Amino acid sequence: MILSWIGRIGLYIGFLSAVFGVVNQLLVARRGRRSYALPAALASLLGIVVAVGAMQTALVTHNFSLAYVAENNATFTPLLYSITGMWSALEGSLLLWSLILALLVVAVVVYYRRQRDDEVVSYATMVLFIVAGFFLLLMVGPADPFLLNPSHVLQGAGPNALLQDNPLVAIHPPLLYSGFVGFTVPFAFAMAMLLSGRVHEQWPIEQRRWTVLAWGSLSVGIVLGSWWSYQVLGWGGFWGWDPVENAALLPWLTATAYIHSVVVQDRRGLFRVWNLSLAVGTFSLTVLGTFFTRSGVLQSVHAFSSSTLGPVLIGFFGLSLVSGLGLIAWRGDELRTAVGVDSPLSREGIFVMNNVLFVGFAFVVLLGTVFPLLYQAINGVQVTVGTPYFAAVAGPGSIALLALMGLAPLVSWRRFDGPTIWRRARVTAWMCVASVVLLEVAGVRHYAVLLVVFLAVAAAGSALRTLANNVTAARRRNDLWSVLRSPSTAGMVVHLGVVILAVGIVVSSSYTSRTEVTLSANQRTVVDGHAITFHGFAKRTSTLESQTLVNVTVDGARLQPAITTFSGRSQAVGTPAISSNFFRDVYLTFDAVGQGGSTSGAQVQTNVPVGAVVLGVTVEPLLSWLWIGGLIVGLGSALTLGRRRSSDEATA
Amino acid sequence: MRMLSSFRFWCVALVLLVGSVLLAPSTPSTWQTRVAHIETLVKCPSCDNLSVAQSTAASSLAVRAQITSMVRAGDSDTQVFTAIERAYGPTVLLTPPAGGLTTLLWVGPVALLLVAAVIVARLRRR
Amino acid sequence: MRRRAIALTALVLVVLTVGFTALLATRPPIDATAVHSPLLGKVAPEFSGTSLTGGTVSLQHERGNIVILNFWASWCAPCKQESPNLTSFAWSQRNNHVKIVGVVYNDTVASARSFERYYGALYPSITDPQGSIAFHYGVTAPPTTFVIDRTGRVAATLVGPATQGQLQAIVSRL
Repeated sequence: MILSWIGRIGLYIGFLSAVFGVVNQLLVARRGRRSYALPAALASLLGIVVAVGAMQTALVTHNFSLAYVAENNATFTPLLYSITGMWSALEGSLLLWSLILALLVVAVVVYYRRQRDDEVVSYATMVLFIVAGFFLLLMVGPADPFLLNPSHVLQGAGPNALLQDNPLVAIHPPLLYSGFVGFTVPFAFAMAMLLSGRVHEQWPIEQRRWTVLAWGSLSVGIVLGSWWSYQVLGWGGFWGWDPVENAALLPWLTATAYIHSVVVQDRRGLFRVWNLSLAVGTFSLTVLGTFFTRSGVLQSVHAFSSSTLGPVLIGFFGLSLVSGLGLIAWRGDELRTAVGVDSPLSREGIFVMNNVLFVGFAFVVLLGTVFPLLYQAINGVQVTVGTPYFAAVAGPGSIALLALMGLAPLVSWRRFDGPTIWRRARVTAWMCVASVVLLEVAGVRHYAVLLVVFLAVAAAGSALRTLANNVTAARRRNDLWSVLRSPSTAGMVVHLGVVILAVGIVVSSSYTSRTEVTLSANQRTVVDGHAITFHGFAKRTSTLESQTLVNVTVDGARLQPAITTFSGRSQAVGTPAISSNFFRDVYLTFDAVGQGGSTSGAQVQTNVPVGAVVLGVTVEPLLSWLWIGGLIVGLGSALTLGRRRSSDEATA
Repeated sequence: MRMLSSFRFWCVALVLLVGSVLLAPSTPSTWQTRVAHIETLVKCPSCDNLSVAQSTAASSLAVRAQITSMVRAGDSDTQVFTAIERAYGPTVLLTPPAGGLTTLLWVGPVALLLVAAVIVARLRRR
Repeated sequence: MRRRAIALTALVLVVLTVGFTALLATRPPIDATAVHSPLLGKVAPEFSGTSLTGGTVSLQHERGNIVILNFWASWCAPCKQESPNLTSFAWSQRNNHVKIVGVVYNDTVASARSFERYYGALYPSITDPQGSIAFHYGVTAPPTTFVIDRTGRVAATLVGPATQGQLQAIVSRL
């Protein structure tokens, strides 16, 4: 009871401080009044911290007088999952979002405290407070996390079984949210530049480090989500083109375009309209993402369900996008530049293609995601748009982007210089041809694999060439470690990560094999060149769960796919086991047992002998490359922290 | 080698390479590959997002059995899809039925591609 | 880029955004999908069990009534959406020989009781300790609803949160 009121008071403080912040910053921008941004931001943060503290206390002490705790926690929920329970359902997820946003607002205000009277800074801070205030308003109003539980219960529902057995639940959502929330800053400053008319200033360039960090956070968050699905869901898949997954992908696509496009603004002052639009678009897409996840309008395994928040969230999306576009149109005159792009095959031209491809990609994914809604509105019939469609459009799109990745570091600024491009590309070009020849000789026939490898070698070659140049330049300065601070190092490392990821995706998708084997005790079989031996069953019980394990060796490695039953619950959940190495993943699921094996919780198949087990075996080559690539992308993004500004150095 | 520095020579090598890839004898399509392909295009009726190729649910196995028997009986892909759609409803196909509004799904990307081409083509020094 | 080009593109995008927003703002929450389960037309598997509030419910006992069998769980988000719909439907059909029976799917008794009380269900829900009822009905994910006609045959299967309208439509056909 008390906790509920403490939490609510925290939210009110947070909200009122944000409102005060909006008014104050508007007056600073328009009337030159004194800025109270820092006190307002700190007060807002304090309010949210109090609310989060109240919620966490309730969760950790299993206080079921709060409805949210009763629905997402139980007395036997371990500490970690009590804490993460805060974001396993709708209202609490808004608490996490607001917390991260409040921290970000404080960070921005502190960073710009010396310029707090600047019109752009105050408009930007105002926009940040508006967004923060919006999410707080949701929690003060329709999505109240501190609703009291009308019935007095001694036991709560506990989190969803799938959410309480993997520690990734502590990392994946916070990383994702950090990414989403991070893009509020470029949006705020874009709006500020438009409102003040000072659209020729370099705010986006100065903030690039933080934008790349937000992007890196989102990228790693998405890859972690894929890894989690892969480990848990049972068919060796890692991406389902589910509406909520797409909701995270959309802002990622426009954000990737943005961080590249800003490079051109830095170098040549071009692409202002693009960059402002991309900043506005990325933020709007993060709001759209919250709509997909929380409106209950699209079917998704990841969705929270609610029907009252939908119109509000989509309204906010529409508002932010329309006001951004309107401001851009209004300031159109000031956004003109004296120079333009001189050739499609100049560096600038490639970046235009990059922007266009990423935005087009985002449009198409959005189209596929909302198409069932459109179809139902017009034809009254429910349809599905699934993986075949998205793969058909994502495939060519990704291939085109891979090609650009290979080409961009080779082309010159301002002009198309064929001989120079060829001189730079020569070695890589021959390696591309050689790689494909080798693959063909080895028997690889899939067009997709051959094409992707060709382009991957090209992209990797360009990236490595640039890195090699950076190393040479660093050596010349007698400071090898300064290579980490070269403007292009971080980006090229990220590109290498993406290349590895791309190869992993295309090879594993093209060469996945799925079989089911029936094995009696100590029987051995060979699937796809991998020796699989069944050693017998085992049981394991703990306070949380009881498991029936199957002892299997795959190529000598011990694996234990299992069926897990969580405490008190009747149905069982399949727990796959994976043997993973650099070259392939062997993915085992415990599918069924023979007669007499009903105690295990697994399905019983009557045509299988007693004591035998039916295992699902999926072999996926190069699957670990996805996670390796993702890791490198994350590391590369982190490297951007040490980056020197490109205006400080002559680049090749 | 002088030849390796020649762009033209590399282009020739590339053309030969593409030719060898396209002209390589492709693996003949057996009924099993047809079934496997069709299975990736049909959704498991009682699952959220999985194709019948991926799911081991009872309803999924039933659909797979139906696909297999129809393909072995010589039915075309279209006939298989129509039969399954009639039995389970239009949501069971992972791509909406062709025609009408669905053309937007395919026209959309093409239209965007055209817009992209126009934008890039207009990049010239004025 | 010329001023007019920017303004025109912005206008087109604004119109698209407004249309898009209006479309999405007016979408109803997802409802259940009627699926073709292997049980359709067949005699519904027998079951009986103890309800969360103590009574016994069995399918045999309900022969002659239309039975709406709903598998749910306290941790299942669409079930929360569906529960009020089922309660309203139960109330509206209370004199029409239509009975709603819930089956708790993969859940603890305590959580299920808590859920039932919180949402004020007007129909009994039985527990399924071995998961055998769910197994015989082929339920893989809640909420799944079976409509069993007066002769005990399965008339419809709905996967996802059922709405009153959907249930009404099916029941009036029987």
